[in-house]
Amino acid sequence: MPRTPNAVDFWRGYALVSIFINHIPGIYYERFTHRNLSFSDSAELFVFLAGWSLGYLVGGSDAPKSTSRLMLRLGGRAFQIYAAQILISSIAIASLASAAFLLDNPLILEWHNAAAVFLDPALTHIGLVLLTHQLGYFDILPLYVVLMVVAAPLIALLYRFARPLLLPLSLAIYLAALIVPITVPTWPVPGQWFFNPFAWQVLFVLGFTLSRPDGVGDFVQRHIEVIRLIALPITVLGAIVVALSLFPDPTIFPEPKLLFLNGKTFLTPVRLLQFLALVAVVSVTYPYIARIVPWLVTFLSILGRNSLNVFCVASVLSLLGQIVRYLYSGSFGVDTGFVVVGIALLWLTAWVSEWRQQLAGG
Amino acid sequence: MTAAGVALLFSAALSVAARAQATTGEGTMDLPPLAKECGEANASTMALPNSARALATTKKLKILAIGASSASILGGMREGNPPLLEQLLERTIAGLDVEIINRGVSGELAGDAAKRLKVEVALNQPDVVLWQVGTNDAFAQVPVEEFQETVGEMVRWLKEHNTDVILVGLHYMKNLVKDPHYQAMRASLQHIANTENVPRIGRYEAMEVLARTLRENGRRDPGEFGSSETAYDCMARYVARVIAVGLFAKAPKKPAGH
Repeated sequence: MPRTPNAVDFWRGYALVSIFINHIPGIYYERFTHRNLSFSDSAELFVFLAGWSLGYLVGGSDAPKSTSRLMLRLGGRAFQIYAAQILISSIAIASLASAAFLLDNPLILEWHNAAAVFLDPALTHIGLVLLTHQLGYFDILPLYVVLMVVAAPLIALLYRFARPLLLPLSLAIYLAALIVPITVPTWPVPGQWFFNPFAWQVLFVLGFTLSRPDGVGDFVQRHIEVIRLIALPITVLGAIVVALSLFPDPTIFPEPKLLFLNGKTFLTPVRLLQFLALVAVVSVTYPYIARIVPWLVTFLSILGRNSLNVFCVASVLSLLGQIVRYLYSGSFGVDTGFVVVGIALLWLTAWVSEWRQQLAGG
Repeated sequence: MTAAGVALLFSAALSVAARAQATTGEGTMDLPPLAKECGEANASTMALPNSARALATTKKLKILAIGASSASILGGMREGNPPLLEQLLERTIAGLDVEIINRGVSGELAGDAAKRLKVEVALNQPDVVLWQVGTNDAFAQVPVEEFQETVGEMVRWLKEHNTDVILVGLHYMKNLVKDPHYQAMRASLQHIANTENVPRIGRYEAMEVLARTLRENGRRDPGEFGSSETAYDCMARYVARVIAVGLFAKAPKKPAGH
């Protein structure tokens, strides 16, 4: 039986719909996603909730008692995400090639950082498999793979054997990434990962830590009312700064500048703090949403429960959305039709995933 | 014809390419050669005062490439080989050390690139920004006025922060010739370059010339599959020429009161 709707699945479903829309640049509905009033966007929510879910996997009641079994389970999940990344990248490349051929527009071959795939296929295919070449908008799963392969086992081990070290170590790596700075290079096209794993791991760890009923998680749960009072002005101020483009000129900041800038690649502190404040404030709304619009909670929760499959379909649909908008010169009608059909397909993906699980379960 | 065949023919064409010269303070300088098929579509002689200052003081030039498919304006990029643009500039100007920072994000719209650009300028302090912009906005149907405001504002910001900017215009495609929105975006970028007095590489015009030349020679135009490498090579040479000329061109005197 699938889980009953809950806040984590609901917000994860929201993040998936939001990612689907935001990954179609220029679409009319882009203006209604929360990034228009926030430094952070749905990518932060996705990674934070991935860390939160890891909490269930590592510390939940059905978590394996044996550490080696737990490592195997984490490895299996990492491989599943890696396989998903390879699959959606292949579909994206084929979609771009098909669109370029059918629409007689080779410029489409250059979309999403795909030009190297067609111009330098031998090395770029190695890069795709090694995750060192990532298609634009298809760059969050490589981060997730690295987090699951490297960070998750470390988190699990530290949580079991040296719990007080977990958050300080993660924060130290995060600060080092910002101060040095440390980046992960891309290959064969030189550049850097759009989502820097050394920086983004802190959000994954925070998601994990806050999901646990002990330590920092326990402290936050016990003092959530006070935390919300502190978080509210931060959230409101962030919304005003973003809406009115009031963020200070980034060149005025002293070194190390990454501590003060607003940058997504390094998940800079301003984004991280604003995101945590937003989570603290918005989390209060879930019980009201569940009471007032229960169908919405049911709907988004089924997406959230099947997040990997839904994410994969959403990524491919976003790319198709760009092609459709190019083909039909994007209008309110086209955008509305695509978003409605797209969200329906996301739901269908989730429904089929659960139906298959039920069949498998007998 | 295979891509390798195209490259071979292109190299042969290079050897007969016309040589051009620019006048510098110390005499004349041979500009990077252009293959005949590239045509002479761009003739910007605008000064790049901040880059010229960097050249004079440190003999170093830091170029930040941003926008969709930046590799295409750098002449392709592969680990281990410096981009063609870097090779051309270092060959043209003796002793010049060029550093290229590629921060292109494929598919990115001007608005998002502008936000990132401010951060990248703060972090890397480039002398010149190469901004390839417009094609994605045109495909995504971004309103022309919004595009013009975004790019114009960013260009002004870069100038205020002592950073030169070279705008690299929209791509050429045979079937976009009659697309009114696409053509309006082209005109808009041209307008920004004229108003703000910054160089613009007429990529569309250049590729149009290249397509015509290739067709006349019985070859595939750059809009066809597998022949983009030729176009990339031409683009890197156009950019190298605009930078080389801009380094030695005289900056116009600022009007009184500015």
